[in-house]
Amino acid sequence: MTRSQRRYFVRCPAGFLLLGILTSPPVTAGEPLKIQSPRQVHLLLAQAEPVQSGSSESPGPQQLPPGGTSVEDVLLQKGTITMDEWIQIRAEQEYRGAENSRRIDGIEDWKTRTELLPILRDKVNFGLNALQFLYTHQDAKVPEGKSQDNFSIRRSEILFWGRISDTIPRWHALMEFQSINFGRETPTGGSGAATGQPIAATFFRESYIDFRPFQSWAPYVNFIRMGIFRMPFGIFTEQSGGLRDVISSPYLTSVGSGPPNATGTAGTIDFLQERDFFVDVRGRLFNRLEYVAGIMNNNNFHANATGSNAPKSFYTRVRLFGTDVSWISFTTIQGESNNANTNINGRGKGRFDRYGLDFRYTSKLIPGLMVQGEWWQGHDGANATTVGLPANGTCQDTALCGGSGAPGVQRRTWYILGKYLISDGFFQNWEPTVMYEQFDPRTSVSDDLYTRTIVGLTYYFENFPPKIQSKVQINYEFRHHQGNGPGVPYDATFDAFAHNAFLVMFQVRFM
Amino acid sequence: MIRIDGGIVLVIWLSLTSCAPFQLFPTEVADGVDKNFDFAAWRNMPSAKTGQKVQLGGRIVQTGPWDGALVIITTQLPIVERPAYGPSDNGRRSGEFAIFYAGALDRKWLTPGNRLIVIGTTEQAKTVVVDDVKRSLPSLTAYCIRIWQTVGKEIADFPYNAGGGYEPLVQDTFCASQ
Repeated sequence: MTRSQRRYFVRCPAGFLLLGILTSPPVTAGEPLKIQSPRQVHLLLAQAEPVQSGSSESPGPQQLPPGGTSVEDVLLQKGTITMDEWIQIRAEQEYRGAENSRRIDGIEDWKTRTELLPILRDKVNFGLNALQFLYTHQDAKVPEGKSQDNFSIRRSEILFWGRISDTIPRWHALMEFQSINFGRETPTGGSGAATGQPIAATFFRESYIDFRPFQSWAPYVNFIRMGIFRMPFGIFTEQSGGLRDVISSPYLTSVGSGPPNATGTAGTIDFLQERDFFVDVRGRLFNRLEYVAGIMNNNNFHANATGSNAPKSFYTRVRLFGTDVSWISFTTIQGESNNANTNINGRGKGRFDRYGLDFRYTSKLIPGLMVQGEWWQGHDGANATTVGLPANGTCQDTALCGGSGAPGVQRRTWYILGKYLISDGFFQNWEPTVMYEQFDPRTSVSDDLYTRTIVGLTYYFENFPPKIQSKVQINYEFRHHQGNGPGVPYDATFDAFAHNAFLVMFQVRFM
Repeated sequence: MIRIDGGIVLVIWLSLTSCAPFQLFPTEVADGVDKNFDFAAWRNMPSAKTGQKVQLGGRIVQTGPWDGALVIITTQLPIVERPAYGPSDNGRRSGEFAIFYAGALDRKWLTPGNRLIVIGTTEQAKTVVVDDVKRSLPSLTAYCIRIWQTVGKEIADFPYNAGGGYEPLVQDTFCASQ
């Protein structure tokens, strides 16, 4: 029944009801006896039964079938109320029923509309990737006007994602709402252009599309990912900032400070950037072997369209699973880098490679125990420089970088991390963590080693990874930096990598 | 030289385990199971199909203790092969059933939204309380349960699409004490 039809019958229900009773067809022999209550009669009328005038008897209390269930039927049968009163009561009931139907129709309308909303069809979702408030105490001296005690928002990341179809199973955009400073790149001019141009902000961190061309190929050839995302290298670089076990990033992503030198041992070195422009293919074989293979820009830390498009590099990772959550992986990156117009510290001009080995052991025998480690080694091109320092194959500001001619150096780093989540008792949801790492800026030179031991304690308010993780982390970092190689002047006073640090971070993650 | 030999052995072992067929349940449990069990028919007449060894997939709705065992109220989901093997939500409500598991599981495995596949024997319908409402649900006694800690997400979303970054999917098979 349409809404207009229903409205029509609502307006004069009593008349139709009476008409219906009067026009009820007589029961004939051979037909099953149908006992109809007045309500059923009315429903038949509402279906626009043809009216047969003069074919029925006048209704009265004594002619109503037995078994009437409503109060007014009983009252009518007993003669307590008149037929007019019975009709009036029924009319009011019908009106109320129609009113309810109208309300339900209204709700149905809204339901239909809301069901079409993208957010209810998994096409658009949003969540809090990580909101982190950080306190840091730094033992190293700081410039005038700065403090050794710092409050900061470590991350304020909102994640948007959705699933369009089987062919496009994921779109993804990750916004960072706090690091809005413009980054620079290495200029190609002389010393007069020493600072470089501010070119890009890291307001958006990740944006990518997954494309699954053939459903039948999954999971062997699962999907092609294109865009900007965490590099599938090792463990740490690919792990979301909201799920990390220690507060600081490992040295393999960034270490050191100040300008480079002619031996390639000094300055900031971004050994593995966390994000870049990529296109790759991913899959899983036999449920125990994952692979990734693709091409990346390799020079675009900001991962922004206004950044540089550098010589490309090929990368691949193979991950072999012993159990569902324990594995060993091999990664390599092969390509070329350039020190001009780059957004990454420590890169030189020339051949570039990385080799990585990582593992994770998540114990099933001792639930809560996890150990993981990574080992990385690789060459950077000659004349590695830092962002903002002019370079064009060679260093363009010899006063800062100590002269040109730094060879392409081989760097090496590794770490091992262990943690144990206490799952019952008084210390339930506490998780002690320990991590040790080393970074060797140049393997052929001594006295340039960075080392760090992190002792941490985490308390989880909510811990349902990967979607939910609210926690407070307390870390103490024992840091040591040997220097910049034998015979190279080194002053540790302001070197944050040579002094211990204490960090406390409060985090909320929910999606 | 010893280190190299050890590395080669490790790679060979991992390669062999990678190529081995993947099995969710012990062979003796999986033998004779009806993998194409008609859930809709069972739901309509639960008591007409008792004593059958079946495999069903679903999503955990609610869990609780039951007479020394564990009862897991589950929304039935179809088991798909691609893009990842396991129960997959196709958006259509199919109905709920109760799993009776003789054993205890850590609460992380029982989080609502986790996906599971169960092998068990169908039983008479039982009255259980779901969201404070008494309901008569078709039930089965579980031999083994495979649980994926997806917390509401699809199995295919792991490891790359669960959040930002990589997150392996924790999963395991649990068998009832005989």
